Amino acid sequence: MRDILKMIIVLTIIGAVSGLALSLVYEGTKAPIEYQTIKFVKEPAVKKVLTGYDNDPIADRKKIRIGEDERGTPIELIIFPAKKAGATFAVALEGKGKGFGGLIGVMVGVSKKGTVLDIGITSHSETPGIGARVSETFFTERFKGLTTDREVTVDGISGATYSSKGVMSAVTQALGYVTTFSKEIF
Amino acid sequence: MSITDEFTKGLWQTIPPFRLVLGLCPTLAVTTSGINGMGMGLATTFVLVFSNLFVSLLRRFIPSQVRIASFIVIIASFVVIVELVMQAYFYPLFKILGIFIPLIVVNCIILGRAEAFASKQNPLASLADGLGIGLGFTISLFVLGCIRELLGSGTLLEIPVMWSSFEPFTFMLKPPGAFVALGILLATMNLISQVQARKGGGR
Repeated sequence: MRDILKMIIVLTIIGAVSGLALSLVYEGTKAPIEYQTIKFVKEPAVKKVLTGYDNDPIADRKKIRIGEDERGTPIELIIFPAKKAGATFAVALEGKGKGFGGLIGVMVGVSKKGTVLDIGITSHSETPGIGARVSETFFTERFKGLTTDREVTVDGISGATYSSKGVMSAVTQALGYVTTFSKEIF
Repeated sequence: MSITDEFTKGLWQTIPPFRLVLGLCPTLAVTTSGINGMGMGLATTFVLVFSNLFVSLLRRFIPSQVRIASFIVIIASFVVIVELVMQAYFYPLFKILGIFIPLIVVNCIILGRAEAFASKQNPLASLADGLGIGLGFTISLFVLGCIRELLGSGTLLEIPVMWSSFEPFTFMLKPPGAFVALGILLATMNLISQVQARKGGGR
């Protein structure tokens, strides 16, 4: 009995101390990790979907509140504005859609009029060679010119229906944000 | 054995993964370039040093029935720390090493050293052992990575070094190439040891 008690106590203490240490490290690295993911994952996509701006969309990024989860923590969306002579004429923002292997993150460039300029895939876990082809240009350019007032539909890639639909729903989500929060975004 | 011996044994006598044939999974998977090999090696060294230290400090306090579980919790904590720090400050390397960083948790070298060494020795010796084995692992991965990078893409530390008409053996960058390179290195090491033993009068 004493042995069992000792085992339980020791394991609990080790687990608790580890958990505490990890939560401290997590808090400490949260900001640099966010910066790194923006720099290495979002920046190439933002640069791809926006053109003709004279500001730095990464430095000028702003966060808008799009709701809150069940615990009351605000859910934030990062907006990358493209400005010319100080006026925002387009923004890039990320939408997520369920693909074949999980969520697909899509950066969507939208003009002030609500037209899709271009899209870029930021993260996905689709099958290499099949679903992963959604990140190739021949597919992403099919989204150019879609508008916020119509349903997002393009020809999917044969053999990669789920992945194609995932990208479409991600774009739909991003455009939905633009419509709902247009005042905050532009 | 003295502290220095504990440290140096990891660099030749029991150098992983050649002498201590453990931890082959990351060895074969990530050594496509010298930098990748070194990054993986250093991440493993960090985990090894600190898990050895903590296992050794707690060795009288951990009941032997739950020692493996305790070791794993300690190791896993340091792996998560490495993962977060790497993600925060060395993002491109973190992307390349990917899944192999969290997999350090199940690297046999680390649990092996915790169980076979650190749980029986004092903290100082365990620290030396961890540092030695870790650096040995780093050197092995770095050398293996450099060989594969040189033959597979014609560069060394990302600088082109081969002559212009050199056709890279892309085979060396594929998993089978890793086995071949590892085998050749192991054979060379055995040869050196044999020659040494003959010189030293059949030690």
